[in-house]
Parts: sequence; structure tokens; C-alpha cells
Amino acid sequence: MEPPVPPDRDSVSAPILSLSDEDLMGRVAEGDERAFSELVRRYQGRVVNLVSRVLNDRECSDDLAQEVFVRVFVHRRNYRRGSKFSTWLFTIAANLAKNEIRRRVRRRNWFSLDALQEMVSDSASQLADPTEGQEVALQRQQLQRAVGQAIATVPEKYRLALVLRDIEGFAYEEIGHMLGIPGGTVRSRINRARMMLKRRLRPLLRKEETP
Amino acid sequence: MSCRQSRKLFGASWDDELTQAEREWLEAHFASCASCRTEYEEWTRTLEMMESLPRVEVAPGLAERSLAKARRQPAAADRFPAHVVRWIPITATAALLATAGAMVAQWSGIVSLGSNTRVETPVVREPSLVTEATPSDTPRPSVSRSASESTLSRADGTLAALPDSLLDQGEDVEFILDAMTLHKGRAHPASRLSPTPVRGEQAVITF
Repeated sequence: MEPPVPPDRDSVSAPILSLSDEDLMGRVAEGDERAFSELVRRYQGRVVNLVSRVLNDRECSDDLAQEVFVRVFVHRRNYRRGSKFSTWLFTIAANLAKNEIRRRVRRRNWFSLDALQEMVSDSASQLADPTEGQEVALQRQQLQRAVGQAIATVPEKYRLALVLRDIEGFAYEEIGHMLGIPGGTVRSRINRARMMLKRRLRPLLRKEETP
Repeated sequence: MSCRQSRKLFGASWDDELTQAEREWLEAHFASCASCRTEYEEWTRTLEMMESLPRVEVAPGLAERSLAKARRQPAAADRFPAHVVRWIPITATAALLATAGAMVAQWSGIVSLGSNTRVETPVVREPSLVTEATPSDTPRPSVSRSASESTLSRADGTLAALPDSLLDQGEDVEFILDAMTLHKGRAHPASRLSPTPVRGEQAVITF
């Protein structure tokens, strides 16, 4: 007698992989943990990136992203079928990030504009003087750190909209749904945030243009 | 268009939402305004730097850790339709019980009435009639008559034209009409009265 053949792993996982986010969330609402894992796999990168860019804190972003997904699972029955899953997920992520920013502001454990200016001028001088022997990769890293910290100094209500649009690439209307504000307000917040960011990075931008 | 207006178009230009006319105008403006051109270059460079930030890498096992933590927490209550649905049977049961209770109470009341309970008739105040005072009546007396008197009055023809509705039925008053004189079957304003009219101060309509 032949031993029983184990089910083909691909045949089990194939339906999950082919399901839309909304169908997967429908399964999660019924307690399907495999569907939940698939949703985490699909969105973990974007959620971690959003949280990390908004808070400018890599250490904390994993914990906060985990909390986002925990809330998705705990509140799975509150997901309204038919609504876009990514909007619901990023609404949770934006709210948690907002709470974290406010908590840090209360504790005064936050990055200051002075520190940013110091970092920007350091980066600018390194960019302007490549003969100092700094490696290109290090310069790029420095520049990215300065940009990340410049984003962190933009006020919270502008920052969230800015990151959702210019880093995560969401549409204005979708950001409006996530933040609970009209599309026109989203546009004006993003424009203001871009202007603020440009002003803060101006020393870096001008040095970078120097031959 | 001014420099201020050109800067308002930066966002739409970046999002590629400019009309052909706006784009042509902006390009023409940049050709003649170095300040706006520099501003726009810095602006786009800022956004490019932001977009070029590397994606943050995810620590492995996020799904498992999230699930393990979520399992330790109770699922949040459903805020949406389940609440409504849950109340429907409760409300229906309560309504059914109330209806059944009312029917039982009514049925038992009929039985007890039929067996040994005397039906008490409601106390109705003696009907009274008010007629218009004559000029000699000073102070004007209110003339009230009992039901027997009114019957007598009808008999002698003095108030024969009075309709029953002029009789005050005490507790059963539901509508009070303005003063008017009544003839049998129709009402007329007081100015068109005969010399000895009967004036009703109130009329009672019962159903």
C-alpha cells in the first residue's frame, strides 16, 4: 500500500497568493491566519518605510509596524468589506505614527532644527570637498541622513501627508481618506511641506550644485 | 502672470497636472525669470532627494511576531452591522412578550367582568345649560339647569331649538367652541339673532 501523498504546498498556497488584498482581509476577518501572513508579507515594507520616514527612527519603526499589523488582526471585524484595504491599513499606520510623534513631543525627545542645520552643513561641506577622501557611499549616506532628518522637522500634520505622497506615492484623494481631510487640504499641506523641506535643505542643495 | 503665480504651479508641474497652456506659460516665465527657475530647480531637487531615499529593510519574522502578539489580545468587537442584527431578535422577543401580556390581561379582565365584577359607570357631571343674560340681570347670573330642568324647558318650548350639544357633559369635554347662537341644524353669528336668542358659552362635542 502506498503511503499517503502530502498535499502539494503550491496547490494550497496558490489561492492565497492570487487573492486580492480585500479578499484576503475578508478571510482574516473570519480568523484565517494564513491570509493575515500574506497581507503582512505584501505590506510590511511599505508600512515600515512609512513609519521610519515619518519618525526618522529605524529602531522604533519595526515595533510600530508590528503594532500596526497587530491592530489589523485585532480589529479585523471592523474592516468594512468593499473598502480599499491599503487605505484602511495606512489609516491605522498614520494614526499610530501621529500618536508616536505627539508622545515624543510631550517627552521632548525629538530632533531639533539646530541639530538639523548642523547636519546639513556637515553634509554640504563634505559634498563640496570630495578630495577629503570620503567615499562616495559615505557621502550619499550622509546626505540621506540629512534629508531624513529634515523631513522629521516638518510639523506632523504636513509631514504625514508629505511622506504618504512623495515617498509612498499615494493619490491625494486616498491620503485625504487616510488622514480624514478633504483633497484640497491634502494638496495645500503637501505643497507647504515641500516648501518647508526645500528651505531646510537649501544649504545642502546649493553646495551640491557647486562644481 | 507673476512669480507668485508661477510658484503656485510648481506642485501641479511636479505631478504632471499642468495644462498645455500652463506649461508653455511656465516655461516662458522661467526663460525670463532666473529667480523662479532657480527656485523650481531647488524644489525639484528636494523632491528627488526625498524620493531617492532608500527603502527601509524589514526585520524578518514581522508577520509571526505580529500574529503571536495579536493572539494574546481579544478580538475587538464588531462596530458595524453585527450590533444591529443582534438587537433585532431581542427587540422582537420583547414586543412579542408585551403583546402576549396585553392579550392575557385583556382576556382575564373579560372573564372576571363576566363572572362577578360590577361594571362601574363613569361619573358624569350634571349637564348644564347657559343662556344669554337679559339686560335686567345685574350681576349677570349664570343660568345652569339640570338635565331634568332642561328636559322640562324643552317640554315648554323655551329651549326647544337647543341642540343636545349645548349640554355640558362635564368630564367628556373635548372641543370648546366660541360663543355663537345655535338654531336647530345650523349656526349663525350672534348679530343675526332673533330678539330672544339663546347663547351657548360652550359646546361639547363627544364621539
